[in-house]
Amino acid sequence: MSSPPTPQAGRVIAGSDAPEKPQLRVGFIALTDCAPLVIAVARGYDRKYGLELVLQRQPSWAAVRDRLLSGDLDASHALYGLGYGIQLGLGGPQRDMAMLMSLNQGGQAITLSRALDSQARGGAALARFIHGSSDRLTFAHTFPTGSHAMLLYYWLAAHGIHPLHDVRSAVIPPPQMAEALRRGDVDGYCVGEPWNALAQSEGKGTTVALTSEVWPNHPEKVLACTRDFADRHPNTARP
Amino acid sequence: MPRVLLVNDTDKPIAELREALQRAGYEILADVAHARALLHAVETQRPDVILIDTESPTRDTLEQLAVMNAAAPRPVVMVSDTADQSVIRAAVRAGVTTYVVDGMAPAKLAPILEVACARFDEEDKLRRRLAEVEQQLADRKDIDRAKGWLMDRHGLSETEAFELLRGQAMKQGVRLGDVARQLLPPPGQPGP
Repeated sequence: MSSPPTPQAGRVIAGSDAPEKPQLRVGFIALTDCAPLVIAVARGYDRKYGLELVLQRQPSWAAVRDRLLSGDLDASHALYGLGYGIQLGLGGPQRDMAMLMSLNQGGQAITLSRALDSQARGGAALARFIHGSSDRLTFAHTFPTGSHAMLLYYWLAAHGIHPLHDVRSAVIPPPQMAEALRRGDVDGYCVGEPWNALAQSEGKGTTVALTSEVWPNHPEKVLACTRDFADRHPNTARP
Repeated sequence: MPRVLLVNDTDKPIAELREALQRAGYEILADVAHARALLHAVETQRPDVILIDTESPTRDTLEQLAVMNAAAPRPVVMVSDTADQSVIRAAVRAGVTTYVVDGMAPAKLAPILEVACARFDEEDKLRRRLAEVEQQLADRKDIDRAKGWLMDRHGLSETEAFELLRGQAMKQGVRLGDVARQLLPPPGQPGP
């Protein structure tokens, strides 16, 4: 992965540093941390820089990836790890990617079902509970190469729970998380807001850790595009 | 013969593929409509091919399987060495994403996708036809209202009012319904 190219060379040749492509199709997933893009459009910060962001809501991270690679999206709100996953070709096609800017840090959380939390309060108690039970609990996150998988696995491992052997892991779309917890399909999850706060306010879940406690200021969402797009549009992709 | 799983969790009538694929001789497993059922079906029934709407939120659940489980179906999203590129592109355009188990012969996948595309194209044609008819109906209503208004306001006969609208449409190079709507107030407001 490399940072986007510097625009100087193109600027001299073209005699302008105006964006090569002023209207951009930018994907986002309905999460609190898509706010920087929404605010940019609502307040006209994009137009201040000669750009027009056309925001397009996406149904899944897999769709974000496919549309970035097919060119249907120029750039997207993306999990920090999604770019690395594509760069490495994990579980899907390999392509060189560029991260244009960070959109936020931290801001995610781990929530357990009320039932589980009341039986095993705190990491040490949870580890004892899991090691003493023959049924495997299920924990959900949001994408195989995403930050929630990493933060959840790290948190479990830090308490002596092997994230791949001692529990089952599943990917559930964020808007279905609280519902899955309520139905008992999962016993806990790591996800962005508002899906922790929702389970908490409905009395179905207890937020037991903020991801900033696992890794202070961890990178979370970025504005991502393909390396090819950044190369062909150096002024548009300029940080 | 490959075993096919349909994920039916959007408005797209993916379930209607069932009959078409069955007619073509495929074994179609029971539909699944959410992440938990999908995980269960993949684990217990081991489908060779999964067809899912590109708009499905459950796609990320399949991505997890593709990365974590060597035996699980993998995405063939537009790029794949193992399948016919043009057929896959057509399927994705039509709205179907496909996951297949590694090593499945392209010859087996292509006909499944062709059935899916044909079914979705037909659906698309019907939808477009419906939109057209609805537009025609809306046009006719607006033209009648505009004609009535011209007759009342300017004391024209029905034929004269119609000729006036038609002349205007020809002059502007737009549809008759558009001319009528230019004349009429937005819905909810009193007449022009």
